[in-house]
Amino acid sequence: MKELLLEVLGWLGYLERPAVLLQVSLTVAVMLLCRAARRRRWLRRFPALLYTPLGLAALGLIITVLSHLQQPFGLMRLLGLLWLGSFSLTLLHWQLGRWLSAPRLHQLESRLLRPAYLLMAGLLLISEVDSLRDLAVAPLGELFGVQLSAGKLFHALVVTYLVLVGCGPPAAGLAWLAQRAVGFSDGSRKAMELMLRYTVVALGLVAVSVHLGLNTTALIAVAGGLSVGLGFGIKEVFSNFVSGLWLLFEGSVRPGEVLMIDGDPCEVRQLGLRATLLWRDRDNAELLIPNQTFFTTAATSYTASDRMRRSQVSVGAAYHHDPAAVLALLEATALEVPRVLPEPAPKALVLSYGDFAINYALRFWIANPMDNIGICSEVNQAIWRAFKAHKIEIPFPQQVEYSMVWPPEQHQTNTGRP
Amino acid sequence: MLYIAVGTNADQTISAELVEEFNNRLQLMEKGFRQIHPNTRFQFSLYPEDKLEAAIRMRNRAGLGPDLVYTNGDTALRLMQQGLVDPYPATPALLHLFNPEEVARLRSRKGELAGLPVILQTQMACFNREAIPQAPASLNALLTTGARGHPIGLSVDIFNLFWTAGSLGAVTAVDQVVEGRQPSTRELGRMERWLAWLQEASNQQWVTFYANQESLEAEFMARRLDWIPCRSTALSRLRQKLGRALGVGTLPAGPQGPASPVNRVRVFALGTSSSAAGRERAISFIRFSVNPLMQRQITMASQNVLPANRFVKVPVRSSNVLQAMVTAEEQGGQVNKLNALLHTNDPRIAKSQQLITQLVFGEVSPAEARRALTQILRPPRAAR
Repeated sequence: MKELLLEVLGWLGYLERPAVLLQVSLTVAVMLLCRAARRRRWLRRFPALLYTPLGLAALGLIITVLSHLQQPFGLMRLLGLLWLGSFSLTLLHWQLGRWLSAPRLHQLESRLLRPAYLLMAGLLLISEVDSLRDLAVAPLGELFGVQLSAGKLFHALVVTYLVLVGCGPPAAGLAWLAQRAVGFSDGSRKAMELMLRYTVVALGLVAVSVHLGLNTTALIAVAGGLSVGLGFGIKEVFSNFVSGLWLLFEGSVRPGEVLMIDGDPCEVRQLGLRATLLWRDRDNAELLIPNQTFFTTAATSYTASDRMRRSQVSVGAAYHHDPAAVLALLEATALEVPRVLPEPAPKALVLSYGDFAINYALRFWIANPMDNIGICSEVNQAIWRAFKAHKIEIPFPQQVEYSMVWPPEQHQTNTGRP
Repeated sequence: MLYIAVGTNADQTISAELVEEFNNRLQLMEKGFRQIHPNTRFQFSLYPEDKLEAAIRMRNRAGLGPDLVYTNGDTALRLMQQGLVDPYPATPALLHLFNPEEVARLRSRKGELAGLPVILQTQMACFNREAIPQAPASLNALLTTGARGHPIGLSVDIFNLFWTAGSLGAVTAVDQVVEGRQPSTRELGRMERWLAWLQEASNQQWVTFYANQESLEAEFMARRLDWIPCRSTALSRLRQKLGRALGVGTLPAGPQGPASPVNRVRVFALGTSSSAAGRERAISFIRFSVNPLMQRQITMASQNVLPANRFVKVPVRSSNVLQAMVTAEEQGGQVNKLNALLHTNDPRIAKSQQLITQLVFGEVSPAEARRALTQILRPPRAAR
């Protein structure tokens, strides 16, 4: 490691050369000028996006001049190309934005495109000043008796990163194919996708270990050490991980499921290694709940066997209306609301005789449990309109006021009788 | 800081061991040099010899080229002809330290010197002393050793196989062909006998031809071969694997004379991107590396290279390896002309190797191979 650091620090010695200093200074100057020009809008009618091509053109001009003067220009050209690459990523962002959703695009850029660009830029810059093959064999130390070189570690990290980031789309594709072939539910597809990802990541990590030359005895020793660690320090982490896997196999908590959390329906968005991410419609909050919670506490699900939910609204009608007519009207009204399922049929019930109204309940089925609040609102509005049309009164609370006299024996009711 | 680009030969894989080996050798020089120039630090980069040109061209274009290039003499000359290294400003007194023939090989037509010779890497015979007590002294003895059940390895790589040409008297014919002259019938006959011997050797049960020197050495280190021709640069690797079992001797002579090993002169050439101070340091370091004290230290510490400074006497009585290397240096004089005319990257080398492969596999007869080789080795203008 020390040798590698000394090697990297040694590259600073190139700044002693006037040709290198000139190229670096000119490139940085053009970049800073371009940035300042864009921020302060020096060219008022010039579109902001075109400032970078203008800077690149200026850089190209300087390179041509240096070339004619037979001065070194390769470093400047490389820095210019890297600048062009960075600008191309910006353009690509605009283009991809048309086809991909914002989160997907962000994921693609932050996890693949930008790291790949930075990696390539780094390798290109290093190859200008040193031999990559030579650096690749630089020893970094020992790991379980295996000599670790910079190249080996670099390959291992790149492969691990690619496995972690890149296994998503193939796993999703395979799970989709399996769903088409076997015909299981969306939840099962997502569960299969996640399990495939875990399998690929596990295999990838084993492959990387083998590539590094770690022997199986060392890996078993690590596993033994981990098992002791699990008993103490990272018990909760491991417990959450195993709970997550178990829940996936069991199928009770899978992406797309709707669970009741603190009385609110929440949709499972992602079942992670440690925690489950849920989305609560009420306030658009995302809840991160440790997997272990679902494993050890009871949870209400609306999507275990199907996605239908039975919902209910309550309403009161005046005593002088025939309950049979009110019940029929309520059921008919529910059927008119588009998002209320016709089957099973809505059912109205007389719940109780209240102080000033007969209390009714209207029960109906909906297809998506997450839509409950919105559909209840629609049903309530429909009941109001139907009652108005059929002149059914929703009574206000009624009270009879009369003045008390003293002594109470002289008190009389409104009818005049004691 | 002094940046050095090092060209590694085809039989040297860039590995941690090679980097360490070069680092140790450089540290030896660095230690001495820093006594005179305390603030100088060194950084070296290894490139395969065939990629060196492209790498230096790219780095020079960026102004990030090395201050020094440590490479084979012929590569240095080629780099200078392409403007990738600067001519070395040598004084007659300095050049007097070296073998005039070697210096002449480093000069361009304009008389410019591509670099200063630093060390000589030789070709010798390596054998497993536990299997063979002594290195076979002649080609017949070599085949007899093979016939006794000791596996012998040879490489079809023409540079590593050319030592057999001297033993069978084919060097003159090859030299004449490469020069563009027509060899006499007698010389052509010797050339054919050389090729016939190669084919005959490949027919032996215990003689195996390998595609390159690297696989030959790997087999030897795995003790699956008892005798191979080897490069002096490989000795430290071979010593590490075989320990005391490693025997080093001279290559077998033949009916027509001694073997003709192709030795390599390693030179320091000046990069073109150095600052004024960097150039001064580089020249100073080259001069330092060829002083007799340093040359002796390099030779004695590594025991796998010879000094380029001809006034440094090698204590041959102290070591069989040094003795074998000095013999190889003397024998290598036979191929000086060839070395000057045929560089390692010459396309004729690859074609010859292809032909030799066909020959040892019995696809062409020695007579056909001789005709084809004569055609291949002719200089491009004469071939037309």
